[in-house]
Amino acid sequence: MAGRAEPPDGGWGWMVVLSAFFQSALVFGVLRSFGVFFVEFVSAFEEQAARVSWIASIGIAVQQFGSPIGSALSTKFGPRPVVMTGGILAALGMLLASFATSLTHLYLSIGLLSGSGWALTFTPTLACLSRYFSRRRSLAMGLALTGVGLSSFAFAPLFQWLLNRFAWRGALLLVSALSCHLVACGALLRPLSLAEDSAVGGPRAQLTSLLHHGPFLRYTVALTLINTGYFIPYVHLVAHLQDLGWDPLPAAFLLSVAAISDLVGRVASGWLGDAVPGPVARLLMLWTTLTGVSLALFPVAQAPTALVVLAVAYGFTSGALTPVAFSVLPELVGTGRIYCGLGLVQMVESIGGLLGAPLSGYLRDVTGNYTASFMVAGAFLLVGSGVLITLPHFFSCFSAPTSRPQELVIEALDTKVSLPKEEGLGED
Amino acid sequence: MLPGRGAPGARAARTLLPPLLVLLAAARGGWADGASTESPFTSSPVGEGPMTNYSNLSLERHNITLPERSSVQKQVILESPSLMYLTCKFTASGNLTSVCVTWKRGDEPLKNFSHTVEGNSTVRTQYNFTIVNSKQLGNYSCVFEDRKEQRGTFTIQVPEVKGKKKPLITYVGDSTVLVCKCEKCVGPSHWTWYRSNGSVQVPIDANMSAKYVISGAHNNETKLKLMNLLEEDGGSYWCRAVFPLGESEDQQELVVLSFLVPLKPFFAIIAEAVLLVAIILLFEVYTQKRKKHPDDGKEFEQIEQLKSDDSNGLENNAPRQRKK
Repeated sequence: MAGRAEPPDGGWGWMVVLSAFFQSALVFGVLRSFGVFFVEFVSAFEEQAARVSWIASIGIAVQQFGSPIGSALSTKFGPRPVVMTGGILAALGMLLASFATSLTHLYLSIGLLSGSGWALTFTPTLACLSRYFSRRRSLAMGLALTGVGLSSFAFAPLFQWLLNRFAWRGALLLVSALSCHLVACGALLRPLSLAEDSAVGGPRAQLTSLLHHGPFLRYTVALTLINTGYFIPYVHLVAHLQDLGWDPLPAAFLLSVAAISDLVGRVASGWLGDAVPGPVARLLMLWTTLTGVSLALFPVAQAPTALVVLAVAYGFTSGALTPVAFSVLPELVGTGRIYCGLGLVQMVESIGGLLGAPLSGYLRDVTGNYTASFMVAGAFLLVGSGVLITLPHFFSCFSAPTSRPQELVIEALDTKVSLPKEEGLGED
Repeated sequence: MLPGRGAPGARAARTLLPPLLVLLAAARGGWADGASTESPFTSSPVGEGPMTNYSNLSLERHNITLPERSSVQKQVILESPSLMYLTCKFTASGNLTSVCVTWKRGDEPLKNFSHTVEGNSTVRTQYNFTIVNSKQLGNYSCVFEDRKEQRGTFTIQVPEVKGKKKPLITYVGDSTVLVCKCEKCVGPSHWTWYRSNGSVQVPIDANMSAKYVISGAHNNETKLKLMNLLEEDGGSYWCRAVFPLGESEDQQELVVLSFLVPLKPFFAIIAEAVLLVAIILLFEVYTQKRKKHPDDGKEFEQIEQLKSDDSNGLENNAPRQRKK
């Protein structure tokens, strides 16, 4: 059966957007709101905070490192069966976690099992979404990714209510039931065959060709650098504000303000990415530079109004770079190779994310305040955006041919946002 | 006084008499001392001598400074018997001569306080006493009556004990820990735990059953660990701290749920998810079938077109053009 020459750009694609919306909500919303469970686990297992936060860290690490596997399987079998299996695994992990008797049990069930379930859902979904759209790809991405922001608003109070009603065992049971909706989301992912699919071959061939693809490698490096700095504010902003003398409640409120502007930034940037002609990489560079600048300015701002303005700016620009980062990849490697490409980028850039927060914490321990941490984070972002200039057709006035799939890595950025937010939400 | 009889007897009496008189005087003096200790006049409220056992008591000094026209209350937390020095300082707005200074416990007036005048308009009054048992706890006030009455009240009480306010939710088969802490205290002499069903409090004996373990990391907290919970273990638990000067206690609520409680919403949500999946897949099968039928219709039309073309072509002898 010959594939379509052009992605449909609508029609069933909007159902895929809906599916991606709920999926990002169920994967990252859950991860972000896990901070609510954090307090319960510390008292229930009588363990230290650092050991309990490993649960989320393992989950995110497995989700990111497992992305290439999810991608390779999607290339072979199509996204639908892979995502549905991922949903079942994620729900199963939570279900087993509700019977946990020790912290190790939680590491294995939530971290390993649910993490691998998430690895099989998130990357294939976004890759599938990018195949369904070309002209309106950024907008579709932006809309789908708003699921992350909205869900962290909704899930944090919901999980707290579940904890008050059912204690953590019952709450985990119900979160497992919620995660079953990932299977329903997977069912919406109708397979789409595009013209390039026969040309690019199977997963192994795709992976080898990607690893020899210059622009792809440079893009991966850029995103890894960006990822290193991206999550620092989510992890350390509340602590930085408390160092400046803020109370916990206004500090948490500032994070919420940043989250709202993040949401707005995603949709606005998605729309802008499609409206502006030329390669999307230029917009990505714009947003990353602005994010880096706002990060570097954080330590300079002392007055509350300046901090609020910077938080809004950071939220908007960091949200804005997510859908665009996903849109660049199809332009680079083509929609035929997008599953593998996305998985690979996720895996590599997660290194940046995993290193970023501890590095920032280390700098803080050494220097005594967060000035160095924020400046270094901003520097990483600026260097990453500099690498983006080396991408092909950067300075041309015309878009790259729309049938090339190129959106990969922004998901990994989203995963990282979840982790810091969880730590930031460890209140009560 | 012995009556004199003969010269030798009288002479003996005269030599013995002064020492006897001295002896008698000394004895009478001793009786006088004994009588005075039995007099009702004593400054200690409990009947102990005022100068007994000061080396065991800690000294507590507390001050209140009364601002203009308002009363002040200060909380004093005591665990064990102490010597109290309570001081109140009052600045009069006008003449000091009209100020009447008293100390009251509740409404009962107290004695044995001192007061000094400092400067032109400041009065300082001090009340010293010892607290040795729980009956002496309460409100002690210094009262200044100028035009209006102003009071500085020292509320003397034992430390409060606090557990968690929210009910603790657990499941059958779990184990849980109830914690009680006393704030601002060094450590009670004794902690006890009770269960209550209704109004009856039943003490918990950790040595009797394997279910309960009472422990405490520091002296100012206590932990009750319950293991292998059953549904009957739910209810109110009281922790009580016993201090030399009194007791304080707090209540905690324990709820034990069976696993069936969250299972109902769990199955409901899973059923809903399965239903969604079924609807989506069935919808897709249905739309694919609809696509196939229009294709059959189109093929039929194309065959008709070809037939009409052929017939046209035979008449015209022109190259046939196939329509898609």
